[in-house]
Amino acid sequence: MPGLGNTIKYLGAICAILATSVASAQSPAVAQIKTVSGQVFIQRGANRVAAKVGDPLFEKDTIDTGADGSIGVTFVDNTVMSAGPNSEVALDQYRFDSNNFNGSMLTDLNKGTISMISGDIAKSSPDAMKVKTPSAILGVRGTHFAVQVPE
Amino acid sequence: MRRYLLLILIFAAGCAQRQAYFVVLPNADGSSGAITVSDGQNSVLLDKPYAASEEKRGAVTATTSDSQQVQQIFGSALAAQPILPSHFRLYFFRDTETLTPESVVEYKKVFEDIKRRSVYQVEVIGYTDTLGTQQHNQELSLKRADAIRDRLVHDGLSATSISVAGRGELDSAVPTAAQVSEPRNRRVEITVR
Repeated sequence: MPGLGNTIKYLGAICAILATSVASAQSPAVAQIKTVSGQVFIQRGANRVAAKVGDPLFEKDTIDTGADGSIGVTFVDNTVMSAGPNSEVALDQYRFDSNNFNGSMLTDLNKGTISMISGDIAKSSPDAMKVKTPSAILGVRGTHFAVQVPE
Repeated sequence: MRRYLLLILIFAAGCAQRQAYFVVLPNADGSSGAITVSDGQNSVLLDKPYAASEEKRGAVTATTSDSQQVQQIFGSALAAQPILPSHFRLYFFRDTETLTPESVVEYKKVFEDIKRRSVYQVEVIGYTDTLGTQQHNQELSLKRADAIRDRLVHDGLSATSISVAGRGELDSAVPTAAQVSEPRNRRVEITVR
């Protein structure tokens, strides 16, 4: 039955194409969780998941740390960020092209504390990396800084 | 009347509360970068270690901080900081994917670095000098990156943690004219994070 063999081959090819298009429809991971201590959650759309070392983060994720929580993450442009207890940090915008190191990054600190060491995005242009608090905005020329929004 | 006064006092105190606090921290080598903080009206440039700014009543002003204060406010966040990314450069013999003897030694340091990390991602980017055609060099740069990726996997790293790219003649470490043999451009750059 050579016909059946061919059909299976075609089905296989179609499945491969479908799998690829599904994978590319999902936005790429922008960071990896490197450290977690205490209670830390990631709000992703309607889902709330416990943060685990090794897990990816995506644009639009919000990090939520408990009273005993802290977390450290490293972004794909080598920006390093960590947050202390009772913090809410939204990865509002993250774009990075690893071919030319151009990108932009907007992080919202709604409450709590963060420390950041900028990476390649901040080098691409003076306006590329920003941190927003509820009523102020910070432009990053580099490299290590910290921000607190008291409750 | 006294009640109103009290309310006004409470209100004023409430308004004067710190809404946000920003501080530049020293780099490992003692230098620092810079940040600007803006409230929409004014902006403050902070460009020295422990230069700080606070926002009260919607306005940002410059102030200073010190390591003790930083530790008090940001101690937990700083303690959670990941190990910083590391960079390695490996060099190749002309028109090959064969590492120079010095780079074989350097290659082993990647594993020392990864041992310090609980999770890791590795980025491998290949480059060439400008000798030969651009197309050949594009392919050669990717072959170099692939060769290092295969070697890393052979030596125990997880293939899914490694990404590769070939940049050909682009982003030379040492800019040269076309058709120049330059050992320092025949390289692979590895980032471990």
